Amino acid sequence: MFATLRAALVATTLLAPASVAVAQSVPESGDPIKIVLNDWTGQFTSAKIAGELLKSMGYTVEYVSAGAVPQFVGLANGNLHFQPEVWDNLIGDIYPTAVAAGDIKIVGEIGLDGWQDFMYPAYLEESCPSLPSYTALWDCAQLFATPETFPNGRLIAYPADWGTFDADLIKAIGAPIVAVPGGSEGAMMAEFQAAYAARQPIVMRWWAPHWIFAEHDLKWIEWGAEGRSCTDATEAESQTKDTACGFVQPNVLKVAWGGFEGKWPGAFKMLTAMTITNKDQNAMILEIDQKGRDLDEVVAEWIANNEPTWKLWIEQALQ
Amino acid sequence: MAWFDRTAMLWLGAIAVTLIGVFLQGRLDWLATYPETGILPVADLLNAVSNWIVRHFAWLFQGMSALLECPIKGIQQVLQALPWSVAMFLFCLAAYAASGWRLALFTLGASAYMLVIGAWDAGMNTLSLVAISVPSAILVGFAIGVWGFRSRRAERIIMPTLDILQTVPTFAYLLPILMLFGFGTVVGLISSILYSFPPMVRNTLVGLRSVAPEVIESGLMAGATGRQLFWQVRVPSARRQLMLGVNQATMASLSMVIIASVIGGTADLGWEVLSTIRKAQFGESLLVGLVIALMAMVIDRVSSSFAEGSDRPGQTTHRRRLWLIAALGAVLVYGASLVAPILNDWPAAFRFNPAPMMNEALSSFITTFRTQIEMVKTAAFYFVMLPAKIGLQGAVSPFTWGFALTPLHQLTYAAGMIALALWSSRRGSPKIGIAVLIFAVIIYFGLTGLPWPALILIIALVAHGIGGAPMATGTAMGLLFIVVTGNWPAAVLSIYLCGIAVVIAFTLGTAIGIWAAQNDRVSAIVRPINDTLQTMPLFVILIPFVMVFKIGDFTALLAIIAYAIVPAIRYGEHGLRGLPETVIEAARMIGATPRQMLWQVKIPLALPVMMLGLNQTILHGIAMLVIAALVGAAGLEQTVYIALTDGNVGQGLIAGLAIAIIAIIADRMTSGWSRNRQAALGFGAR
Repeated sequence: MFATLRAALVATTLLAPASVAVAQSVPESGDPIKIVLNDWTGQFTSAKIAGELLKSMGYTVEYVSAGAVPQFVGLANGNLHFQPEVWDNLIGDIYPTAVAAGDIKIVGEIGLDGWQDFMYPAYLEESCPSLPSYTALWDCAQLFATPETFPNGRLIAYPADWGTFDADLIKAIGAPIVAVPGGSEGAMMAEFQAAYAARQPIVMRWWAPHWIFAEHDLKWIEWGAEGRSCTDATEAESQTKDTACGFVQPNVLKVAWGGFEGKWPGAFKMLTAMTITNKDQNAMILEIDQKGRDLDEVVAEWIANNEPTWKLWIEQALQ
Repeated sequence: MAWFDRTAMLWLGAIAVTLIGVFLQGRLDWLATYPETGILPVADLLNAVSNWIVRHFAWLFQGMSALLECPIKGIQQVLQALPWSVAMFLFCLAAYAASGWRLALFTLGASAYMLVIGAWDAGMNTLSLVAISVPSAILVGFAIGVWGFRSRRAERIIMPTLDILQTVPTFAYLLPILMLFGFGTVVGLISSILYSFPPMVRNTLVGLRSVAPEVIESGLMAGATGRQLFWQVRVPSARRQLMLGVNQATMASLSMVIIASVIGGTADLGWEVLSTIRKAQFGESLLVGLVIALMAMVIDRVSSSFAEGSDRPGQTTHRRRLWLIAALGAVLVYGASLVAPILNDWPAAFRFNPAPMMNEALSSFITTFRTQIEMVKTAAFYFVMLPAKIGLQGAVSPFTWGFALTPLHQLTYAAGMIALALWSSRRGSPKIGIAVLIFAVIIYFGLTGLPWPALILIIALVAHGIGGAPMATGTAMGLLFIVVTGNWPAAVLSIYLCGIAVVIAFTLGTAIGIWAAQNDRVSAIVRPINDTLQTMPLFVILIPFVMVFKIGDFTALLAIIAYAIVPAIRYGEHGLRGLPETVIEAARMIGATPRQMLWQVKIPLALPVMMLGLNQTILHGIAMLVIAALVGAAGLEQTVYIALTDGNVGQGLIAGLAIAIIAIIADRMTSGWSRNRQAALGFGAR
């Protein structure tokens, strides 16, 4: 408790000079900058860091929770202004159309190294020695079988609305596996945790960074000889059993409303400079989801501990 | 007799056509799957239309959106600014004024619970949405109901519109509303109103229609004018039914506010539940889900008590005193909260959080009973669900039933079923015999194994038997629409899942309802369970089933049953309890035993209401089916959900419409059948 308080105090004292120094030029507008909050902790931390730094520069910031697709409608027509984490392999039609029309602007990569692949619990290697190689999809198909899919094995795929990449991949490589859409993150996680609690065989599509990796011992399936990934869509679409490369890995993008740069140029520059690393985000997620600490407290701590980093971003923004 | 022979021949012909179709579909591809080249581009057309509307009229809708946002924001700010102690005091006082100490205590408990688990802010945000949406839905619903009551022509437009509104899945119209009105709370408000006014309309219509002619007569005798007759005779006499409407509209509205939070921007209880479910935090989501259920119960009881007490005379001075207490008390509590900040802002350290414990308990339950759980699920799959889906020919294998289908088995099955059909047409009626044959064919080949023209033929023939040529034509056209828009395979999956669920839910629910009507204690136990089930956000209903039975059809099935059973219970009880006392008395006078009373008097008389219950069971089942897309149900509901996230308005609406068509066909058939049945029994002369 005391440590937090101190951290917060440190943060305030450090931030104070910055806001004095920039008071001349920013904020260009007093209207609130609306930052999107989705519903996973990683994105929360990125959004809050962006928001708190903007506040320290003198901007008014409002956090608005938004769903994965509706947010793009909001971003395109200016009801929402900034979203720090868009995973560019899982998006519908609204987003690319809005980007093409200039209603949504891609600010840049946030620096997170996202990974999405087939994941399994480490205990599975005892019953299926082929793992982590993808050949396990053939060798251990019976192990993954359920009444619904017999004699084929079951892979829990991403919810169908995130795209049908898993079924496409299985079809391309011809594995004796049926991709069953998982419905939602919650349903998939419930399924996974039930299986994990009973130490049952399970394989499912998943992503990192995610808090589950902090809780359980989990592994990725490895494609090809040296565990590589497909480099582009063409390679992904043309793969066979022998040339399997899995998925094209995603970029994690910072995205803003089309009119953002014109309205708040200083804020835009700061957000362009801002980056977050996997290591930092994982550490924060662990504190919040695992140790049950308050999100704002953890973010304040990050801000207090990384002053040289973010000061540079603000300096760049004010040049 | 001649008529019977023709019908029987028609049916036997249909069965023959089906069998021929099954054997031909290996050779003629278009029999098995409707050719892709024949799919009409209706979805593309709808997309073009929707884009055009959005491009040209978005400013209009977004202006409306800004206007509508004001009252929500206003209420939200007031509720957020009030210290929790003041708000809680006012809630309890309102509950006391409505009904008395018991409800006030219940309200106190409910709001204290909300405070202690740390859901106060989210709760106030939900409340401000509901505070606008419920009265709007009730007003709109009542007005449209009255309009439909006044004009038969209006009713003919209103009823199908209601059916479509209640059956087109929310996910389908959430997207167009979002595109038009822009991102914000208004999307949730509008979809919530759209979803919750139909039950109000239905109940208004039923209520106003069923006012006894003698009552109207005496009103006329007393010299009432048209307006007086309506407001002072009809409306008060229909109050019971109207309150049922208010009740249902309230529950539906809350439920939809929760679903609409998928869009975000609200920071309400729904969002809280959604994000905890996304993280599979079962305990947390259940805790917050309970807040919603409690809130619904309080609002329901308060509103119905106010309505019931509204015609008690001599309350004015009492009212005035209550207002005074409210004002003084609020100021006093507010003053206290300035002195003791804990009354203003509940400290996070004092929060009560049993969620980790609950999660722990569930996890150990699953580990302990894994074998039993698997057994239940596997049995349901092998012996009920798979036969209905892919038929005995696919479901029976050494892996499932323990043996493979041999020609001997097939022969025995065919002979046995034909014998059974012959026997039952001798003993019962030829209709039963034909039903046995149809059932045997479907179970053998499975719903997905039948060629689409055969299935449409069978359904249309059933419709013909109930409503004659018009109903048969309508049914066939509706189903053909699904075929030519390319949604048939998904539709069959939806029919299979929802069909099984509705049959189980209705049978079980009506039985419980009848029991509750006979026994006050059962009724008192069942009512809060019903309220909870109906107001629990649909997502929350899914989660315990997913935790135990995993992703898939079985989980979806259980969740649909759990939700759809509620109207079956309610209408079953309402039907029996709503019977006129005179009829019961008359039956008792002629010496009916309790059993005769139930089976020969009460149930036949209550049949119309019970059938309204079946109607609602189907609609509820379909509402839940749509949500079941979240746990992997694969039919039309999945198509709708994919369309929502792809931003494909056209496809979402078409698949949504397909779901509505199926629901409406089922609805027309059940209500038509019930009318025929009543006529046969000599009832329904109303």
